[in-house]
Amino acid sequence: MSVSAVIGGVGSGGEISGATGVVRGRRTTPALVIPALLLVALFMLAPLALIVRYSFDLYDPVKLMLGVFSIDNYARAFADPFYQKVLGVTARIAGLSTVIVLLLAFPAAYCISRTRSEKRRSWLIILTVLPLLLGNAVRSAAWMVVMGTKGVANTVLIALGLTAQPIAILYTPTAVVIALVSVLLPFAIITMQSVLDAIPTNIEEAAMSLGQSPLRAVLSVVLPLSMPGLIAAAAICFALAMNAYATPVLIGGPSIQMMGPVVYEQIAKVQNWPFGSTLACMLMLTTVLLTIVSTRFLSRKYF
Amino acid sequence: MKRFSIGRFSYLAFVTLIFAFVIAPLLVIVWASFFSDRILTFPPSGYTLSWFVRAWDLQDFASGFATSLQVGACATLGSLLLGVPAALAIERFAFPGRETVRQLLLSPMYVPAIVAGAAVYIYFIQIEMMAGVQFAATFHGLVIAHTLVALPWTMRLVCASLVTANAASEEAARSLGANALQTFFLVTLPTIRPGMIAAAMFAFIASFSDLEKSLFLVGPGQTTLPISILNYLEWNLDSTIAAVATVQIAVIGAALLISDRFVNLGKAF
Repeated sequence: MSVSAVIGGVGSGGEISGATGVVRGRRTTPALVIPALLLVALFMLAPLALIVRYSFDLYDPVKLMLGVFSIDNYARAFADPFYQKVLGVTARIAGLSTVIVLLLAFPAAYCISRTRSEKRRSWLIILTVLPLLLGNAVRSAAWMVVMGTKGVANTVLIALGLTAQPIAILYTPTAVVIALVSVLLPFAIITMQSVLDAIPTNIEEAAMSLGQSPLRAVLSVVLPLSMPGLIAAAAICFALAMNAYATPVLIGGPSIQMMGPVVYEQIAKVQNWPFGSTLACMLMLTTVLLTIVSTRFLSRKYF
Repeated sequence: MKRFSIGRFSYLAFVTLIFAFVIAPLLVIVWASFFSDRILTFPPSGYTLSWFVRAWDLQDFASGFATSLQVGACATLGSLLLGVPAALAIERFAFPGRETVRQLLLSPMYVPAIVAGAAVYIYFIQIEMMAGVQFAATFHGLVIAHTLVALPWTMRLVCASLVTANAASEEAARSLGANALQTFFLVTLPTIRPGMIAAAMFAFIASFSDLEKSLFLVGPGQTTLPISILNYLEWNLDSTIAAVATVQIAVIGAALLISDRFVNLGKAF
């Protein structure tokens, strides 16, 4: 209903002609931003507000919820050993993956941003972005092929004589970390690369001409300057890892429970909307806090 | 200038390994799509193209592909129609709360997909119970959710190209007597066209590869490509899935190469 009306409103575009000037145009500005704002308000902010409300409600098998206000769900989420474990496992896997991703993304992003040839640079970007665009389901599928009992990894290990029996890689926490790192790495490389691009090349040259080795020049001059990119990348990666769905389901299997699949299960399968909302809110809170902290850090220091 | 050193060599080797790690899964899955064995085994005993035929014959993949294509196209159009004017207002007009508006329009990117999916699902059902309008498990419901997924990408890329586009030429057009509409269509639009192509492409791909939001919103008998892939993988692991993934890799790779002709992707990020 509202969407076609909203689109129609923008499509007519005539509002722009009503402007008295490109810079002033006070009357036209609302006409330009309000449609997009309405979409976000109606279909993102309102739904989020609704699940925050639900998270304080109580489950009822017949009426779905009781319409009361209680913090029992939060108490349960923190007290129940099962959910404690889920939260712990999720945070540990997400944290470890983020650290590994940052260590790998920095050299790769640095390489892209310091590549002089335009063509090679485009290729490196395409190489990085291509897996990003395939979605998590396809990339997890690829890792299942690599890490399965008869997968590439085991075949290579047996051929090299490192193991006689195929070892179980799939359905272990290590497998989830490896797959998550590969899923998150392109995000981190792209984020850091854009920050590194803004740092002039002659900074390292200056450091080197003052007698530092290339490695020291990068570590002592470029790295501190690229901190905002690093922190932004870390926040994005940690949030994405905490919320991952396809990777834990496919690579982790039923024995490794992470938050994303558990939220889906509570809401879509068990139909316990209040408790599912509570878990969803906890996830969102972690993500939002991280985003705020990282953007604060960014803006205070650099803008 | 460049001299050979152990440090430089190990740096390049390390970076090569990282890029290899990024791309390796894709190479493996493309390779596996040609294996002739019924059960995925390495190395294969022979090669065949029959998995592509089988994948095409499986109803779930074919209809998932069609749905993803349609939803992606609608979401791209919607996000451009909403995002381009908004980006223009944010980059070219001074108004109170401008930064807040920018953050709000970019925020769908930061709300975790699984949380957003759950929230929209509950919200849709609530609307249905209260107003009798059905959104959950419908095509338009899916399109609305996907437009939200695509909007931040459109905003980001269009804003970026507006910043780099020279606002002075717009002012020049204005001072030479063009009205705002003429200025937009004759000066602004042509300069940001590469950015808009990139925006459309990323909006489409963001929608096309979305799994978490659609998971909650598809109806019975309805599926998108990522969901059909996920469902298949929960029970099977064979070359059919590799064939499906290979087709997707080919399509997206081609889209990237084509758009690299329009926008220098090396500079789009």
